[in-house]
Amino acid sequence: MAPHRLGGLCLLLLYMLGAVMAGRDFYKILGVPRSASVKDIKKAYRKLALQLHPDRNPDDPRAQEKFQDLGAAYEVLSDEEKRKQYDAYGEEGLKDGHQSSHGDIFSHFFGDFGFMFGGSPRQQDRNIPRGNDIVVDLEVTLEEVYSGNFVEVVRNKPVARQAPGKRKCNCRQEMRTTQLGPGRFQMTQEVVCDECPNVKLVNEERTLEVEIEPGVRDSMEYPFIGEGEPHVDGEPGDLRFRIKVLKHPLFERRGDDLYTNVTISLVESLIGFEMDIQHLDGHKVHVARDKITRPGAKLWKKGEGLPSFDNNNIRGSLIITFDVEFPKEQFTEHQREGIKQLLEQESVQKIYNGLQGY
Amino acid sequence: MWRPGPRPLLLLPLLLLAARADAGNELGTGAVTCGSVLKLLNTRHGVRLHSHDVKYGSGSGQQSVTGVEGSEDANSYWRIRGGADGECPRGAPVRCGQAVRLTHVNTGKNLHTHHFPSPLSNNQEVSAFGDGGEGDQLDVWLVQCSGAYWHREEAVRFQHAGTHVYLSVTGEQYGHPIRGQREVHGMPSPNQHNSWKAMEGVFIKPSPSEPSPGKL
Repeated sequence: MAPHRLGGLCLLLLYMLGAVMAGRDFYKILGVPRSASVKDIKKAYRKLALQLHPDRNPDDPRAQEKFQDLGAAYEVLSDEEKRKQYDAYGEEGLKDGHQSSHGDIFSHFFGDFGFMFGGSPRQQDRNIPRGNDIVVDLEVTLEEVYSGNFVEVVRNKPVARQAPGKRKCNCRQEMRTTQLGPGRFQMTQEVVCDECPNVKLVNEERTLEVEIEPGVRDSMEYPFIGEGEPHVDGEPGDLRFRIKVLKHPLFERRGDDLYTNVTISLVESLIGFEMDIQHLDGHKVHVARDKITRPGAKLWKKGEGLPSFDNNNIRGSLIITFDVEFPKEQFTEHQREGIKQLLEQESVQKIYNGLQGY
Repeated sequence: MWRPGPRPLLLLPLLLLAARADAGNELGTGAVTCGSVLKLLNTRHGVRLHSHDVKYGSGSGQQSVTGVEGSEDANSYWRIRGGADGECPRGAPVRCGQAVRLTHVNTGKNLHTHHFPSPLSNNQEVSAFGDGGEGDQLDVWLVQCSGAYWHREEAVRFQHAGTHVYLSVTGEQYGHPIRGQREVHGMPSPNQHNSWKAMEGVFIKPSPSEPSPGKL
């Protein structure tokens, strides 16, 4: 090999070695820009965790590794301190091992009890007793429906832990037949129990991240498997957050469309006007009219509604309805003459039945 | 001579800072916030505030409220809400002295008391009243605690805004069909029988700031 080629190859090898030693690119793993907010990072993790979970990719030999990379990326970038260190020094610049268990991070977003993919597999084994489900109403604002958000909650729950000794379990009624004499039998009911390892309920805590996805609709539920009430002889129930969208002082939601009303003055309705409406995320919607605006006139602003839950790239419309504020004080004789001349209108006194759609 | 000029002004921002830090964010501790769902333990009698679809056989005949042993019953969950709609947004820490309503999660009725006698001890009957979280003025209770906010690790009292009684348990037990459950009633004076502590639940972390246009 020619010397410069060898040199080039060495350089390439050194570069690759350097790249590998410099550690993983956490921003690339999560698919977010370096300027991403914590909310963006949580959202990216949640979406990718569902896709990359090893249970969902049984044929991929690298699935476990990719999933662990994702967990490590989230752990560093979601922590302010660690992120600063990572931004400055790269992965090997991080102090102390950051290997917290990846299952732990996953359960913050989805719950505890062995998340299962596809359909409702919890109903498989009806013989296993289950603890109660808990439904928590989560109030969200229209701003959160527009831009999305994460709500952090602390779940404190009793968990069944092993205790010394035994306890009675699976107690049931059984019929016992005892023989009292030749040909004479007696049937009695008896309570029969098995012996199980003793359990006691211990209160444990963990943080859960509930995502308010853009476009979410009222009464939609976000389940956390296994985070409900425990059952000493079986499985814990689930925790479900039910979304309750609050009324907004400026906007009314109908599906993916937003409705709002604006009162303009009589002058503005006759000669035109310009205004800005501040939207749910702060951006301004500009309205400009140079024609006459009738009371009840509607203006459609496409793409200024809410994002569709199923496809955030599709948005509804903002429909603005105008009403006109008439002057409160009466005009002087002079003003009345002036108005008659200015408007040059004939007298229109049309009588009609307004209630039957004529 | 001490001049009262700048000192109170200096104290005010310090106090505000302390109050905000007080709202807390560490695991295991922290302020109880509106929108949270929790179980309340009576510290003297070791029972949790509970309700169910069983009506009183006397008094008002409304849905009964009792104290139960055991920590794994979903019917012991109550939701903390402001005294009136819109008064306490999600994630707002509950202040000591603040008016709240406690809505029973499974039946949608509010913790309520009124001038009816309780069945076992002849104190004031405490019931669960309303529909879908909407009841009336007698659903409002004041959280009595020391300090600025209601902290999870601290025992508090609930004083009824309308009749001024304290939510209490004194140990009387029911028979069938709710055998072993304790009577919960209202009593006029604060004492060890009306001390309650937040236990299991889903606690919404205090929000750093209210979501508003351009601030998410």
